[in-house]
Amino acid sequence: MPTVILDEKSCAAEVGETILDVARRNGVWIPTLCYHPALEAYASCRLCMVEIDRGGWWQMVTACNYPVRRDLAVRVESERAVRARQGVMRLLLARAPESPELQRLAARLGIQSPGLPTVTVAERNCILCGLCVRACEERIGTAAISLAGRGVERKVSTPFDEPSADCILCGACAAVCPVGTIQWEVHGDEVELVPFGTRGPVRRCAACGAVLAAELAALAVAGRGAAAVQGLMDGEGFCWRCKRKKLARELSAGLPGGGPPSPRERPP
Amino acid sequence: MGPSEVHEQCSRRPQQACGANPVRRIIDRYGGEPEMLIPMMQDIQAAEGYLPREHLRTLGQELHVPLSRIYGVATFYASFRLQPKGEHTITLCLGTVCYLKGADRIRDAIRDEFQVPPGGTSPDGKFTFAPVNCLGACALAPVMVVDGEYFGGVSPASVVDILRKVAAGRQPAECAADAGNRQEEGREARET
Amino acid sequence: MSTVVSKLESSRDLEEYRSEVCGRAARVDCTVRVCCGPGCLPKGAAKVYDGFVAAAGGPGEKSVAVSSKLTGCQGLCECGPIVTVSRLWEERGDSPHLPERPATNLGSVPGCAQMGTGYPLGAFFPGGIFYQRVRPEDVAEIWRESVEGGRVVERLLYHDDKTGTAARTAAEIPFYRGHCRVALALCGVADARSIDDYIAARGYAALAKVLASMTPEDVMAEVTRSGLRGRGGGGFPTGKKWRSARDAHGEPKYLIANGDEGDPGAFMDRALMEGVPHAVIEGMIIGGYAIGSSRGYIYVRNEYPIAVDRLHDAVLQARRMGFLGENILGSGFSFDIRINRGGGAFVCGESTALMASLEGRVGEPRAKYIHTVEAGFHGKPSLLNNVETWANVPPIILHGADWFAALGTPKSKGTKVFSLVGRVKNTGLVEVPMGMTLRQIIFDIGGGIRDEKSFKAVQTGGPSGGCIPAACLDEPVDFDRLSELGSMMGSGGMIVMDEDTCMVNLARYFLRFLKEESCGKCTPCREGIAQMLHLLEEITAGRGRPGDLERLEQLAALLEDTALCALGKTAANPVLSTLRYFRGEYEAHIAQRHCPAKECRGLFRYRIDAEACTGCGVCRKKCPVDAIAGQRKEPHVIDDEKCTFCGTCRDVCRFAAVTRV
Repeated sequence: MPTVILDEKSCAAEVGETILDVARRNGVWIPTLCYHPALEAYASCRLCMVEIDRGGWWQMVTACNYPVRRDLAVRVESERAVRARQGVMRLLLARAPESPELQRLAARLGIQSPGLPTVTVAERNCILCGLCVRACEERIGTAAISLAGRGVERKVSTPFDEPSADCILCGACAAVCPVGTIQWEVHGDEVELVPFGTRGPVRRCAACGAVLAAELAALAVAGRGAAAVQGLMDGEGFCWRCKRKKLARELSAGLPGGGPPSPRERPP
Repeated sequence: MGPSEVHEQCSRRPQQACGANPVRRIIDRYGGEPEMLIPMMQDIQAAEGYLPREHLRTLGQELHVPLSRIYGVATFYASFRLQPKGEHTITLCLGTVCYLKGADRIRDAIRDEFQVPPGGTSPDGKFTFAPVNCLGACALAPVMVVDGEYFGGVSPASVVDILRKVAAGRQPAECAADAGNRQEEGREARET
Repeated sequence: MSTVVSKLESSRDLEEYRSEVCGRAARVDCTVRVCCGPGCLPKGAAKVYDGFVAAAGGPGEKSVAVSSKLTGCQGLCECGPIVTVSRLWEERGDSPHLPERPATNLGSVPGCAQMGTGYPLGAFFPGGIFYQRVRPEDVAEIWRESVEGGRVVERLLYHDDKTGTAARTAAEIPFYRGHCRVALALCGVADARSIDDYIAARGYAALAKVLASMTPEDVMAEVTRSGLRGRGGGGFPTGKKWRSARDAHGEPKYLIANGDEGDPGAFMDRALMEGVPHAVIEGMIIGGYAIGSSRGYIYVRNEYPIAVDRLHDAVLQARRMGFLGENILGSGFSFDIRINRGGGAFVCGESTALMASLEGRVGEPRAKYIHTVEAGFHGKPSLLNNVETWANVPPIILHGADWFAALGTPKSKGTKVFSLVGRVKNTGLVEVPMGMTLRQIIFDIGGGIRDEKSFKAVQTGGPSGGCIPAACLDEPVDFDRLSELGSMMGSGGMIVMDEDTCMVNLARYFLRFLKEESCGKCTPCREGIAQMLHLLEEITAGRGRPGDLERLEQLAALLEDTALCALGKTAANPVLSTLRYFRGEYEAHIAQRHCPAKECRGLFRYRIDAEACTGCGVCRKKCPVDAIAGQRKEPHVIDDEKCTFCGTCRDVCRFAAVTRV
């Protein structure tokens, strides 16, 4: 079992885990943007830079994907590593200076303003971290979106920039987006994934009208054998609150006083 | 089917746009291997002049590759076109040596004269303009290629002249023959 | 073009076949070699070749048995199309029946030795009349005078521009002094499409030797001892890389040849793949044997269709003759090669991006914390080397590690192919031993700067490299020295610049190139290059501010520390090296809004020289903003206030009266 030393702190580690895994487990904070524990490391944002001892020289590496294979000495708060992380943060903030999430992260790194002009175009503050694409491909298995184009022209896109025929509107992309570029927006009986333009019907709670899920997503998940969504599919969909009230009413049917009120139909 | 057999059947330059199931034929040429996606796309483009959407959808379905990945590949590599190309293709070298000899101004001259943006097609459909970062013919800088025909030692004025002739219907090969004779003189004149 | 063939099943079969081919070659009286390399082809060389073929095939009894060869690059691209005409007795070592001839005119380069039989190294060509700037119309005269008559056509010979002396053979031309062709030994000599020519010159004899008498360990030891380092730019010790590939766990192992030469100004790999594709193939088969791989890929840049065709045909020929496929030459070892084309992305020259592209994905690099020799293509052990590195392997095997290690410098063994382009007189392709100085390459071989201008800098290593100024001309060219000078060897492009080149504008050019070619995955490369380019655009437009140079240097350091791949990490090199040697130019742009080289539009003025001006009025008419005034036959004057610095007046003046100040 190798030992990883993070600045002064000595930590036990498993072969094959990353420096970031060790740091998180030991309460050492390293900033990240494109990292997500449920997804393969992509190491594109370059925020999690740290220095490692190569015996004679120190190498700058990304903590999120550097594999621990033997004892390792890591400098997290060295001047060089801090300067590198701040430099990367400035570049990101220069790209999307209006983003509140980036501003908060930058402040945490000691940066109030980018110090650089905006020279690239970020559609809705997208920083090309790739989390949405990876979530859709690796976890959902649909791969409805991808990174299209190259260099500064790169953007997350559906094929041909048209509403996707493969998208199940599950909203995983919106859930993982760190800067709010992607939004899962409900209008009446439809949900739209902004900015992709893909739309589809939503299922609402039969009792209170709360949004349950996109039809397509529910179908897709049911199709993968998830018993939990059967209720959604057979027309008797209730949100969890209404389901609980219904259950409580059924359980207390025999009690004096009649139990809680029945769930009411609410107009959509 | 191993690589050897596939190569025996492989024809690098398909002659014309194919009929019934052109994409299937191209896929079979490479043994249906998803790793050969890029050569398959290159063959489709060679046959059709660009990458038609329907062909890309078929490719994805047949190879069990998500359309989003195919779209990503089609938009990443400079040689792929998603729009039909013009009657003639202009390739202009923007490599270091050509740049030092004024390729920038040649690019601007082509763009201004024929209203064709770099990477795009002119409004009248005559020219598709594809600047490239080095053709490997540095001794002849600046270099322009029209429909496969090389023109070395060009200038903003000479490219406009050549392209006007091509637009009017002359074969690039004929223009190359004329240009060759004047190249030597032109170069000497420019160097004084 | 091979004659029919049944597969060769042993080394002996190969030797017998070789004797047959050499025997046929010995019955040829005269060989005409038409260069159709990257420099000559665009100048119409194909028609010249067709002319010779037609003349040989024409009606009537021929007095002379002629072989016309379409060859790869013969080197002196400036003087193309090149045609060499040699009589049988001038061919050196072409056949075992001919006497050995000593190599001539080696200049002062130590270590270039003669091969046993086979083409000698050090001397460039078989002797033979060297004709330059040949046009299709000249073919008839060459045929009559030289091929049939054994005479020389004086006007088509190379003439020294100072002394006027005519050179009869390549060996007499200053450009060729000091050349030492190892990777390019048969380029320009063999017909580029012929496996027979390759075999005649002991092609595939190295492979036969390996399969018959060497173990994989023997091969690796030889390559390691030779000191060969990667020729693609990294300069990593080749033997060490092979060792790691051999030791890696995982099957199958893959072998890859990187033919994605993307550096602008470089065409060495193009010439090699077009001119002598079998050298790459033979090297790869030997490498496969050494590391235990039976699957090879050659990844060729999309912009090189001729190279793709030649390699493809060569693979088919090699397969038919039994050098590729199962049980090669009866050894039990099997190997085959697939050729893939790139899609048009400079970043695919980077090994992990190349492998992604080979997998049918976008060319996005990935971290190399786990090396590609351990997990590369499809996650399996993969050995990737540049095509020039592969082409060096057969000569090392055939002549031994000691022979190779005797060439070059202590840490950079062997030779290197360079494309010498830009403002030199003799542009072309050169292969010289490592350790030759920049001065020797640029001035002795290159002939110095054209048009009486002065040397300013030479750019090496492409967009990852840097500029080296006049003060360093006597430095030897090798991997480590060039890095110490702030540049790098890179793939071998050498772009020579004169006093009229603005170094700030040059840095801007490279950043613009890199911005377009960046894959866009990582923040520092995608955003940082755009920031540096923005700064340089402001500086070259006269809007530079104090502190800009420090900002550039900070961004450069950031990229080096944080970018994901070599493209991003080295993106700042062109800026850093020009700042190191030409900081004054940057300062003039910022502080005085002046471009000392007079290249950046708006940062210098146009002036009409009253002495030279004839008052013809052409500039006045052509000026788009009517900024020029003057009477007919009187010197004209430019109004600086109105002038938009378009440069039209200078372009149209026939009397060189418009100067830049």
